[in-house]
Amino acid sequence: MKYALFLGCAIPIKYPGFEAATRLVCKRLGIDLVDLPFACCPPASSLKMVHHPSWLALAARNLCLAEDAGLDIITLCSGCVNTLKEANILLKQSETKRRKVNRILGQFGHHFKGAIEVTHILDVLYQDTFVERIIRNTQREIPLRVGCHYGCHYFRPPKYMYPEELSPTESYVPVKMDHLLSIIGVEPMEYSRKFLCCGYPLGANTDQEAGYALTRQKLSLLNERNIQALSVICPSCFEQFDMGQIVLDRKYKEKQRMPVFFLTQLIGLALGMSYKEMGLDVHRVKAKKLLTQVKVE
Amino acid sequence: MTTLRLWQHFNREDLYECYQCARCTGSCPAMEVAPAIGPRETILRCLNVGHQQVAEDERLWLCCTCHVCEDRCPQQIPIGDLLVALRNSAARRGNIPGRLGMAIELLAKTGRSMIVHQLDEMRAHHGLEPLQPVAADEIREILRKTGLKEVIEF
Repeated sequence: MKYALFLGCAIPIKYPGFEAATRLVCKRLGIDLVDLPFACCPPASSLKMVHHPSWLALAARNLCLAEDAGLDIITLCSGCVNTLKEANILLKQSETKRRKVNRILGQFGHHFKGAIEVTHILDVLYQDTFVERIIRNTQREIPLRVGCHYGCHYFRPPKYMYPEELSPTESYVPVKMDHLLSIIGVEPMEYSRKFLCCGYPLGANTDQEAGYALTRQKLSLLNERNIQALSVICPSCFEQFDMGQIVLDRKYKEKQRMPVFFLTQLIGLALGMSYKEMGLDVHRVKAKKLLTQVKVE
Repeated sequence: MTTLRLWQHFNREDLYECYQCARCTGSCPAMEVAPAIGPRETILRCLNVGHQQVAEDERLWLCCTCHVCEDRCPQQIPIGDLLVALRNSAARRGNIPGRLGMAIELLAKTGRSMIVHQLDEMRAHHGLEPLQPVAADEIREILRKTGLKEVIEF
């Protein structure tokens, strides 16, 4: 299985540990990742809100690069997958949009054809082949009570993210991360308001304090269920929870700490990779003590 | 490239589908923590005072872009599309939050939405190669042609 790896901006620049963990895990599971000269996705919560035509053109440029290489795109971020999936569908559906975008991109040697699909690492790992490989390669279980946070943009709006999977009157309820983690010995925990926003876009665009108020609420609901750690599939959500705990401690003197993992870090640990290899040493809230308690060194 | 036209992006008739049940606003996270307008009132104002006035209101930007409003709307109004179109219109009037404006400027200038600073060392710590440079000039040219300059200087 071969994919064009779309890293986005936040992962390679702010959280290269997730990139390292993902590359190691994919290598072990037989997923080939190809690097292409992609630019910013660009985010649905920023450029799209300000200038939709620019957003669509930049997203289309990224899609064109993967089309030229003949590869589907794999993303590691809820924001990137949201933008690229939606742009791909909009351009495949509308000839007018395609013509407008191609008129500009054509001047730079790109042409959108609509030949590829966009997916997220979670959806790829959830395929039977890789679930089997994870089970076969698991060297140790990770017996932690983990709360999963999916990140709104990973699955909403479902009309673009998972159009075939539901009728228009249903809400899409993501479960893949919970299921996937349960096969490496994690106990996935339900908690109140599981699909509440982490607060990042609100904080990044307008009101940082309001953004952290949501984070605080979410953390208190996680603590209520005695959850030991959080698993995310998006660098923005990660930042909001990891850095957020430090910020909230400064303000409210909340001493409780809940380590946050990126999905592939937990899977890598189960496959026998080390704390350092998974880039866990640079997280603000350290997971070392918790992992030692459950004998995952 | 043409600008996004509000009533082409969102069917104006859909405003009348709203029966003001406020399920959207009741589930809006931004409403819980900030003085946002909320989806219900946004729709009502578009009908009563016109979208121009809504587009001039700074509170239009207090939003998580989480799409819960649209997800829970019993009338299946594509609220997300309405909010994108309204904010595009707001941006053309100069109504853009400062932080967001700066982020877009950075993106237009560098092709990335994060500042790259002493990165090689940090990536080497994780056993990674230096990050490939982005075709920033090409990105900037594309954004000139798509008309981003009508909302942001770069």
